[in-house]
Amino acid sequence: MTSSVRRAAELGRVLAAAAALAGAVAALAGAVAVFSVDAHEPAAGAAPLMDFVPPPAGSYPLHAIMRAPDGAVLDLDGRRQPLRHFTSGKITLLGFMYASCSDPHGCPLAYQVFHTVRHRVATRPELRDRVRLVSLSFDPARDTPSAMRSYMAGVAPAAVEWAFLTTESPRALVPLLDGFGQDVRVAADGGGRPLGPLAHVLKVFLIDARGTVREIYTTSYLYPEVILNDIQTLHLQSATERTMR
Amino acid sequence: MRTHSRGRILVGAVIAALALAAIVPSPAGADETCNSPYMANLIKGQEDYLYVWALGVKGVGDGADKLVTIDVNPASKSYGKVIHKLSVGGGRGEAHHMGFTDDRRFLWAGGLDNSRISIFDVGSDPARPKLVKSLTDMAAKTGYVGPHTFYAMPGRMLVQGLSNAKDGGGVTGMALYSNKGELVATYPMPTTDGGDGYGYDIAIHPQKNVMLTSSFTGKKNYMRALGDLVKDAEAMKRFGNTMAIWDLKAMKPKKVLSVPGAPLEIRWSLKDGDTWAITATALTSKLWLVKPDAAGEWQAKEVAVIGDPAKIPLPVDISINKDGTGLWVNTFMDGKTRYFDLSNPEQPKQIYERATGKQVNMISQSWDGTRVYIASSLLANWDKGGADDEQFIRGFRWDGKELSPTFEVDFNKEKLGRAHHMKFGSKTMKAAYDLERTSRR
Repeated sequence: MTSSVRRAAELGRVLAAAAALAGAVAALAGAVAVFSVDAHEPAAGAAPLMDFVPPPAGSYPLHAIMRAPDGAVLDLDGRRQPLRHFTSGKITLLGFMYASCSDPHGCPLAYQVFHTVRHRVATRPELRDRVRLVSLSFDPARDTPSAMRSYMAGVAPAAVEWAFLTTESPRALVPLLDGFGQDVRVAADGGGRPLGPLAHVLKVFLIDARGTVREIYTTSYLYPEVILNDIQTLHLQSATERTMR
Repeated sequence: MRTHSRGRILVGAVIAALALAAIVPSPAGADETCNSPYMANLIKGQEDYLYVWALGVKGVGDGADKLVTIDVNPASKSYGKVIHKLSVGGGRGEAHHMGFTDDRRFLWAGGLDNSRISIFDVGSDPARPKLVKSLTDMAAKTGYVGPHTFYAMPGRMLVQGLSNAKDGGGVTGMALYSNKGELVATYPMPTTDGGDGYGYDIAIHPQKNVMLTSSFTGKKNYMRALGDLVKDAEAMKRFGNTMAIWDLKAMKPKKVLSVPGAPLEIRWSLKDGDTWAITATALTSKLWLVKPDAAGEWQAKEVAVIGDPAKIPLPVDISINKDGTGLWVNTFMDGKTRYFDLSNPEQPKQIYERATGKQVNMISQSWDGTRVYIASSLLANWDKGGADDEQFIRGFRWDGKELSPTFEVDFNKEKLGRAHHMKFGSKTMKAAYDLERTSRR
């Protein structure tokens, strides 16, 4: 066995064990309030404190940060599709996640915020057909299409599209991670040996209808009110552009 | 798959929970203890490495700026030793400050003279940083020069300039880059409503949607020999006397605060619920507090003196502890390190001081405050001459009463240049999917 194969096998075993442990933590903590339906907004939970009134939609610019990367993803039916089908044509809110994540400031927080945003967008007729949410797994080994289907089972049908996607393999995933600048780490011991579950900086990407990232949110700034204002800002801008054409 | 007993699962779950607790991003945190609140993976235990951004010195080695890595884990066999050094080439660029990206995988470092921004990969192998990109067109693209503060924003890096390419004066602005190094936007410092247009440091309080900036001086001053500069009364007028409150989301200045005497480093209290920041003024040797008044209006007020202002001790770097109850202040001219009790930020009280060098500038502390690191260099042309031109990194242990030396690296003796900014590194996090990433290359 070559050293690289041994390392791959070791990493695989560690990640599998980590997922099991994280799942156990989630079960023990009962950390699944996030799977509430859309009829009501979820409780604030681990959401960061917001002690300000955000500037009104349309009163500030949202600069072009980068193009959203493209690559092959799998939908819930296991069909291979280009990611660009889910990052263009509508204003898109995209976040990476993995189903066994139990960090209250990580995926569950993003899930909760996505629910809130979706609920509020659904009440805005001018927005609901122009906005999409995307949850993309960075744990393809465990988050298969069928696992993702189970993950989103608690999501009520609503007027606002919410796509749950995964990839065929880490090889297909890595270009998307690198393209978005999304880190994924695994804790290691003093000798550099992997110890526990996957870790990542929670990032949520706001992408305009042309596929350009216009805002990035992390835990310290993941406020539904701000996100809604930003969506409205992009909508106002595109409406102005349509009028001028 | 191996079957776990309930007890082993519980133990495993606790271990996993502890591991998670150690690595989740802190929503309200800053660093060890001055990093951006958007930065994840704060090192709350023992740091393994100290990255030092060192100014090149002509005739010393290749004369170029270097990123020097020192092993600072007392349990290591190479504790207190330089384990890696990486020259960026091109002669002295006036290495100054550094800042991690939000995910702590990359370290951006600036040169105040050549305005080059060097981006190091410190995530792949924290013991051996790699130079992965150099940005050399800041002046051409933005009109600003002297990249000083590197402040992580989500997926981006906000860079504060000190000067401008047109006249080398202090009127400047900020440049926002994507983490990939692409310029996203520029923001001029305010020049109306009391603004002097100068810049120095950036500090953000996300929960208040507030960004606070401070002001120093332009390239014509900071690249001039200090002895000449202080004799030039007109030049000495060209220092910043303001701080600015910005609407962070809109990136628009809201209010300019009068803070005379070059307010430099800004530190928000890291205690949950606190909404105040503190700064030190270099020329007037004061501590200033910035906080909202009873009506919610942001105000700045002088709250303490540092040493004897008449002797111009020149306060430089400051370091606040994790709960906002204490502040280290280094004063360059007298080489002293002072500790202020900030229990009442309206009335800071100095409770300790000791000489830590013939000249001292930067100071960094571990998250728990027990380890303190001091660097010697301020600016190439402001550092002292002769025997007073010590260049070092000194480590200390702080027990709440006394700073005790632990190690020293003599940068002159080891031909490393002038020791300036310091950042911590850890070997306890590694990238997942390394194999897949490597196989794509």
